[in-house]
Amino acid sequence: MGTTTQHDQDDAGLDPREALALLDAERTRTQQRLVPDLRLLYGTWGVAWLVGFLVLWSSTTGRGPLALPPVAGGAVFTGLLVAAVVVTGVHIARRTAGVRGASSTQGAMYGWAWLLGFGCMASVMASAAGAGASPDVLGVLGPAVSGLVVGLLYLGGGAMWQDRAQYSLGVWILLSSAVGALAGYPSNHLVMGLLGGGGFLVAALVVAARGPRAGAPA
Amino acid sequence: MSDPQPDLDPVIHAPARLRLVAALAALDDGDRIAFPRLQQLQGLTAGNLGAHLRKLEDAGYVAVEKTHRGRTPTTYVQLTRRGRQALEDHTAALRALLEPVTARAAAGRSEGAA
Repeated sequence: MGTTTQHDQDDAGLDPREALALLDAERTRTQQRLVPDLRLLYGTWGVAWLVGFLVLWSSTTGRGPLALPPVAGGAVFTGLLVAAVVVTGVHIARRTAGVRGASSTQGAMYGWAWLLGFGCMASVMASAAGAGASPDVLGVLGPAVSGLVVGLLYLGGGAMWQDRAQYSLGVWILLSSAVGALAGYPSNHLVMGLLGGGGFLVAALVVAARGPRAGAPA
Repeated sequence: MSDPQPDLDPVIHAPARLRLVAALAALDDGDRIAFPRLQQLQGLTAGNLGAHLRKLEDAGYVAVEKTHRGRTPTTYVQLTRRGRQALEDHTAALRALLEPVTARAAAGRSEGAA
Protein backbone atom coordinates (compact mmCIF):
# COMPACT_ATOMS: atom_id res chain seq x y z
CA MET A 1 0.00 0.00 0.00
CA GLY A 2 3.09 2.23 -0.06
CA THR A 3 2.24 4.01 3.17
CA THR A 4 5.87 4.41 4.18
CA THR A 5 6.64 6.30 1.01
CA GLN A 6 3.60 8.47 1.52
CA HIS A 7 4.69 9.27 5.04
CA ASP A 8 8.19 10.13 3.89
CA GLN A 9 6.78 12.48 1.28
CA ASP A 10 4.63 14.05 3.93
CA ASP A 11 5.59 17.62 3.21
CA ALA A 12 6.30 17.15 -0.46
CA GLY A 13 2.73 18.00 -1.44
CA LEU A 14 1.04 16.82 -4.57
CA ASP A 15 0.29 17.94 -8.07
CA PRO A 16 -3.35 19.25 -8.06
CA ARG A 17 -4.49 16.65 -10.57
CA GLU A 18 -2.95 13.81 -8.53
CA ALA A 19 -4.44 15.25 -5.36
CA LEU A 20 -7.95 15.40 -6.81
CA ALA A 21 -7.64 11.86 -8.16
CA LEU A 22 -6.38 10.65 -4.78
CA LEU A 23 -9.25 12.34 -2.93
CA ASP A 24 -11.84 10.87 -5.24
CA ALA A 25 -10.35 7.37 -5.27
CA GLU A 26 -9.92 7.22 -1.50
CA ARG A 27 -13.43 8.45 -0.81
CA THR A 28 -15.00 5.94 -3.18
CA ARG A 29 -12.80 3.09 -1.97
CA THR A 30 -13.64 3.76 1.68
CA GLN A 31 -17.36 4.08 0.94
CA GLN A 32 -17.31 0.72 -0.82
CA ARG A 33 -15.53 -0.98 2.04
CA LEU A 34 -17.95 0.29 4.68
CA VAL A 35 -21.17 -0.96 3.07
CA PRO A 36 -22.19 -4.55 2.31
CA ASP A 37 -21.48 -5.83 -1.19
CA LEU A 38 -24.95 -6.52 -2.58
CA ARG A 39 -23.55 -8.62 -5.42
CA LEU A 40 -22.23 -11.07 -2.84
CA LEU A 41 -25.45 -11.06 -0.77
CA TYR A 42 -27.85 -11.40 -3.70
CA GLY A 43 -25.60 -13.99 -5.34
CA THR A 44 -25.45 -16.06 -2.14
CA TRP A 45 -29.23 -15.99 -1.67
CA GLY A 46 -29.83 -16.61 -5.36
CA VAL A 47 -27.79 -19.83 -5.28
CA ALA A 48 -29.33 -20.89 -1.94
CA TRP A 49 -32.90 -20.42 -3.20
CA LEU A 50 -32.31 -21.77 -6.71
CA VAL A 51 -30.50 -24.95 -5.63
CA GLY A 52 -32.34 -25.35 -2.31
CA PHE A 53 -35.89 -25.07 -3.67
CA LEU A 54 -35.07 -27.18 -6.75
CA VAL A 55 -33.65 -29.96 -4.53
CA LEU A 56 -36.74 -29.69 -2.33
CA TRP A 57 -39.06 -29.89 -5.33
CA SER A 58 -37.13 -32.76 -6.94
CA SER A 59 -36.98 -34.71 -3.71
CA THR A 60 -40.72 -34.29 -3.08
CA THR A 61 -41.84 -35.12 -6.61
CA GLY A 62 -39.05 -37.51 -7.61
CA ARG A 63 -38.60 -35.48 -10.80
CA GLY A 64 -35.61 -33.60 -12.11
CA PRO A 65 -31.88 -34.27 -11.74
CA LEU A 66 -31.62 -33.23 -8.08
CA ALA A 67 -33.99 -35.85 -6.62
CA LEU A 68 -32.83 -37.06 -3.19
CA PRO A 69 -34.66 -38.97 -0.47
CA PRO A 70 -37.14 -36.41 1.02
CA VAL A 71 -35.31 -36.18 4.36
CA ALA A 72 -31.97 -35.57 2.62
CA GLY A 73 -33.61 -32.99 0.33
CA GLY A 74 -34.96 -31.13 3.36
CA ALA A 75 -31.54 -31.25 5.00
CA VAL A 76 -29.81 -29.83 1.89
CA PHE A 77 -32.41 -27.02 1.71
CA THR A 78 -31.99 -26.15 5.40
CA GLY A 79 -28.20 -26.37 5.15
CA LEU A 80 -28.10 -23.97 2.19
CA LEU A 81 -30.32 -21.43 3.94
CA VAL A 82 -28.26 -21.62 7.16
CA ALA A 83 -25.07 -21.15 5.13
CA ALA A 84 -26.58 -18.10 3.41
CA VAL A 85 -27.58 -16.62 6.78
CA VAL A 86 -24.01 -17.14 8.09
CA VAL A 87 -22.39 -15.63 4.99
CA THR A 88 -24.74 -12.63 5.19
CA GLY A 89 -24.20 -12.06 8.91
CA VAL A 90 -20.41 -12.38 8.78
CA HIS A 91 -20.11 -10.17 5.69
CA ILE A 92 -22.30 -7.38 7.07
CA ALA A 93 -20.59 -7.52 10.49
CA ARG A 94 -17.16 -7.20 8.83
CA ARG A 95 -18.14 -4.37 6.54
CA THR A 96 -19.88 -2.29 9.20
CA ALA A 97 -17.45 -3.00 12.08
CA GLY A 98 -16.18 0.02 13.98
CA VAL A 99 -18.63 2.56 12.61
CA ARG A 100 -21.02 4.29 15.02
CA GLY A 101 -23.67 6.90 14.42
CA ALA A 102 -26.90 7.48 12.55
CA SER A 103 -26.21 5.08 9.69
CA SER A 104 -25.24 2.20 11.99
CA THR A 105 -28.39 2.74 14.06
CA GLN A 106 -30.38 2.66 10.84
CA GLY A 107 -28.60 -0.55 9.78
CA ALA A 108 -29.14 -2.20 13.16
CA MET A 109 -32.85 -1.35 13.11
CA TYR A 110 -33.13 -2.80 9.63
CA GLY A 111 -31.25 -5.94 10.69
CA TRP A 112 -33.61 -6.44 13.62
CA ALA A 113 -36.56 -6.16 11.25
CA TRP A 114 -35.36 -9.37 9.55
CA LEU A 115 -34.94 -11.22 12.85
CA LEU A 116 -38.34 -10.09 14.12
CA GLY A 117 -40.03 -10.93 10.83
CA PHE A 118 -38.68 -14.47 10.75
CA GLY A 119 -39.26 -14.92 14.48
CA CYS A 120 -42.91 -14.03 13.95
CA MET A 121 -43.07 -16.36 10.95
CA ALA A 122 -41.75 -19.25 13.04
CA SER A 123 -44.55 -18.78 15.58
CA VAL A 124 -47.17 -18.62 12.80
CA MET A 125 -45.85 -21.90 11.35
CA ALA A 126 -45.75 -23.57 14.77
CA SER A 127 -49.27 -22.45 15.51
CA ALA A 128 -50.59 -23.65 12.14
CA ALA A 129 -48.92 -27.05 12.63
CA GLY A 130 -50.35 -27.23 16.17
CA ALA A 131 -53.83 -26.46 14.85
CA GLY A 132 -53.57 -29.50 12.59
CA ALA A 133 -52.54 -27.91 9.27
CA SER A 134 -51.75 -30.64 6.73
CA PRO A 135 -48.26 -30.99 5.19
CA ASP A 136 -49.74 -29.48 2.01
CA VAL A 137 -50.92 -26.38 3.87
CA LEU A 138 -47.60 -26.02 5.71
CA GLY A 139 -45.77 -26.58 2.43
CA VAL A 140 -47.60 -23.59 0.92
CA LEU A 141 -47.37 -21.42 4.03
CA GLY A 142 -43.60 -21.76 4.62
CA PRO A 143 -42.31 -20.39 1.28
CA ALA A 144 -45.19 -17.91 0.97
CA VAL A 145 -44.74 -16.30 4.39
CA SER A 146 -40.95 -16.18 4.11
CA GLY A 147 -41.28 -14.68 0.62
CA LEU A 148 -43.69 -12.11 2.04
CA VAL A 149 -41.21 -11.12 4.78
CA VAL A 150 -38.25 -10.95 2.35
CA GLY A 151 -40.20 -9.05 -0.30
CA LEU A 152 -41.54 -6.44 2.10
CA LEU A 153 -38.14 -5.90 3.73
CA TYR A 154 -36.55 -5.29 0.32
CA LEU A 155 -39.30 -2.80 -0.45
CA GLY A 156 -38.47 -1.05 2.83
CA GLY A 157 -34.71 -1.22 2.24
CA GLY A 158 -35.11 0.06 -1.33
CA ALA A 159 -37.19 2.98 -0.10
CA MET A 160 -34.85 3.80 2.80
CA TRP A 161 -31.63 3.71 0.76
CA GLN A 162 -33.23 4.99 -2.46
CA ASP A 163 -32.12 1.84 -4.24
CA ARG A 164 -34.39 1.04 -7.18
CA ALA A 165 -32.76 -2.33 -7.86
CA GLN A 166 -33.45 -3.43 -4.28
CA TYR A 167 -37.04 -2.17 -4.46
CA SER A 168 -37.56 -4.02 -7.75
CA LEU A 169 -36.16 -7.18 -6.21
CA GLY A 170 -38.72 -6.80 -3.41
CA VAL A 171 -41.56 -6.50 -5.92
CA TRP A 172 -40.25 -9.53 -7.80
CA ILE A 173 -39.95 -11.67 -4.65
CA LEU A 174 -43.53 -10.74 -3.63
CA LEU A 175 -44.78 -11.68 -7.12
CA SER A 176 -42.87 -14.98 -7.06
CA SER A 177 -44.29 -15.79 -3.62
CA ALA A 178 -47.83 -15.00 -4.75
CA VAL A 179 -47.46 -17.11 -7.90
CA GLY A 180 -45.90 -19.91 -5.85
CA ALA A 181 -48.74 -19.85 -3.32
CA LEU A 182 -51.31 -20.01 -6.10
CA ALA A 183 -49.44 -22.90 -7.75
CA GLY A 184 -49.79 -24.88 -4.51
CA TYR A 185 -47.53 -27.47 -2.89
CA PRO A 186 -45.10 -28.83 -4.12
CA SER A 187 -45.04 -26.80 -7.37
CA ASN A 188 -44.46 -23.66 -5.29
CA HIS A 189 -40.92 -24.93 -4.60
CA LEU A 190 -40.21 -24.96 -8.32
CA VAL A 191 -41.61 -21.42 -8.63
CA MET A 192 -39.62 -20.11 -5.65
CA GLY A 193 -36.41 -21.70 -6.96
CA LEU A 194 -36.67 -20.54 -10.56
CA LEU A 195 -38.42 -17.17 -10.16
CA GLY A 196 -37.26 -16.23 -6.63
CA GLY A 197 -33.70 -17.60 -6.83
CA GLY A 198 -33.40 -16.45 -10.45
CA GLY A 199 -34.57 -12.99 -9.41
CA PHE A 200 -31.81 -12.73 -6.80
CA LEU A 201 -29.21 -13.74 -9.40
CA VAL A 202 -30.52 -11.17 -11.90
CA ALA A 203 -30.43 -8.53 -9.13
CA ALA A 204 -26.78 -9.45 -8.44
CA LEU A 205 -25.98 -8.91 -12.13
CA VAL A 206 -27.86 -5.60 -12.21
CA VAL A 207 -25.93 -4.35 -9.16
CA ALA A 208 -22.64 -5.51 -10.71
CA ALA A 209 -23.48 -3.70 -13.97
CA ARG A 210 -24.37 -0.39 -12.34
CA GLY A 211 -21.00 -0.26 -10.55
CA PRO A 212 -20.17 1.51 -7.29
CA ARG A 213 -22.75 4.05 -6.26
CA ALA A 214 -21.08 6.93 -4.46
CA GLY A 215 -22.93 8.21 -1.45
CA ALA A 216 -25.57 5.49 -1.27
CA PRO A 217 -24.96 2.88 1.41
CA ALA A 218 -26.18 -0.71 1.02
CA MET B 1 -4.14 42.82 -3.16
CA SER B 2 -4.53 39.16 -2.43
CA ASP B 3 -2.77 36.45 -4.38
CA PRO B 4 -5.14 35.37 -7.14
CA GLN B 5 -3.78 31.81 -6.85
CA PRO B 6 -5.93 29.96 -4.29
CA ASP B 7 -4.10 28.82 -1.18
CA LEU B 8 -3.68 25.13 -0.56
CA ASP B 9 -4.31 24.07 3.02
CA PRO B 10 -0.97 22.67 4.26
CA VAL B 11 -2.70 20.57 6.93
CA ILE B 12 -4.62 18.63 4.29
CA HIS B 13 -2.25 18.89 1.34
CA ALA B 14 0.07 16.06 2.37
CA PRO B 15 -0.61 12.69 0.73
CA ALA B 16 -1.23 10.71 3.94
CA ARG B 17 -3.57 13.30 5.44
CA LEU B 18 -5.33 13.90 2.14
CA ARG B 19 -6.15 10.17 2.02
CA LEU B 20 -7.18 10.22 5.67
CA VAL B 21 -9.52 13.20 5.30
CA ALA B 22 -11.01 11.71 2.12
CA ALA B 23 -11.66 8.44 3.95
CA LEU B 24 -13.29 10.23 6.89
CA ALA B 25 -15.42 12.24 4.45
CA ALA B 26 -16.75 8.93 3.11
CA LEU B 27 -18.60 8.44 6.40
CA ASP B 28 -22.10 9.86 6.61
CA ASP B 29 -22.37 13.16 8.46
CA GLY B 30 -22.55 12.38 12.19
CA ASP B 31 -21.00 8.90 11.88
CA ARG B 32 -17.70 8.10 13.57
CA ILE B 33 -15.20 5.31 13.07
CA ALA B 34 -13.16 3.29 15.56
CA PHE B 35 -9.40 3.87 15.46
CA PRO B 36 -8.47 0.22 14.67
CA ARG B 37 -10.93 0.05 11.76
CA LEU B 38 -9.63 3.32 10.36
CA GLN B 39 -6.11 1.97 10.72
CA GLN B 40 -7.09 -1.17 8.82
CA LEU B 41 -8.75 0.86 6.04
CA GLN B 42 -5.78 3.21 5.70
CA GLY B 43 -3.06 0.59 6.07
CA LEU B 44 -1.12 2.79 8.50
CA THR B 45 0.66 1.88 11.71
CA ALA B 46 -1.07 3.01 14.90
CA GLY B 47 1.70 5.54 15.61
CA ASN B 48 1.57 6.95 12.12
CA LEU B 49 -2.20 7.27 12.09
CA GLY B 50 -2.15 8.81 15.57
CA ALA B 51 0.36 11.45 14.48
CA HIS B 52 -1.67 12.47 11.42
CA LEU B 53 -4.88 12.55 13.45
CA ARG B 54 -3.23 14.81 16.04
CA LYS B 55 -2.30 17.32 13.32
CA LEU B 56 -5.86 17.27 11.99
CA GLU B 57 -7.26 17.53 15.51
CA ASP B 58 -5.02 20.52 16.26
CA ALA B 59 -6.41 22.24 13.18
CA GLY B 60 -9.94 21.50 14.39
CA TYR B 61 -10.68 19.28 11.39
CA VAL B 62 -11.12 16.03 13.29
CA ALA B 63 -12.85 15.21 16.58
CA VAL B 64 -11.36 12.36 18.58
CA GLU B 65 -13.60 10.80 21.20
CA LYS B 66 -12.30 8.32 23.76
CA THR B 67 -14.97 6.03 25.19
CA HIS B 68 -15.20 2.67 26.89
CA ARG B 69 -16.99 -0.37 25.55
CA GLY B 70 -17.26 -2.35 28.75
CA ARG B 71 -13.72 -2.20 30.07
CA THR B 72 -12.02 -1.81 26.71
CA PRO B 73 -11.07 1.75 25.84
CA THR B 74 -12.11 2.68 22.31
CA THR B 75 -11.27 5.76 20.32
CA TYR B 76 -13.69 7.07 17.71
CA VAL B 77 -12.76 9.57 15.04
CA GLN B 78 -14.91 11.81 12.89
CA LEU B 79 -14.50 14.78 10.61
CA THR B 80 -15.79 17.99 12.18
CA ARG B 81 -18.00 20.44 10.29
CA ARG B 82 -14.92 22.59 9.93
CA GLY B 83 -12.94 19.64 8.57
CA ARG B 84 -15.61 18.88 5.98
CA GLN B 85 -15.62 22.54 4.96
CA ALA B 86 -11.81 22.57 4.75
CA LEU B 87 -11.92 19.54 2.44
CA GLU B 88 -14.54 21.23 0.24
CA ASP B 89 -12.47 24.44 0.09
CA HIS B 90 -9.36 22.43 -0.66
CA THR B 91 -11.09 20.52 -3.46
CA ALA B 92 -12.33 23.81 -4.92
CA ALA B 93 -8.81 25.27 -4.69
CA LEU B 94 -7.33 22.25 -6.47
CA ARG B 95 -9.94 22.51 -9.23
CA ALA B 96 -9.17 26.22 -9.59
CA LEU B 97 -5.47 25.42 -9.97
CA LEU B 98 -6.29 23.11 -12.86
CA GLU B 99 -8.16 25.92 -14.62
CA PRO B 100 -5.89 28.86 -13.76
CA VAL B 101 -7.18 31.18 -16.46
CA THR B 102 -10.85 30.99 -15.52
CA ALA B 103 -10.03 31.06 -11.82
CA ARG B 104 -7.83 34.13 -12.13
CA ALA B 105 -10.38 35.91 -14.26
CA ALA B 106 -13.06 35.13 -11.65
CA ALA B 107 -10.78 36.29 -8.83
CA GLY B 108 -10.04 39.50 -10.70
CA ARG B 109 -13.74 40.21 -11.20
CA SER B 110 -14.59 39.63 -7.56
CA GLU B 111 -11.71 41.86 -6.44
CA GLY B 112 -12.91 44.59 -8.75
CA ALA B 113 -16.40 44.31 -7.33
CA ALA B 114 -15.21 44.45 -3.72
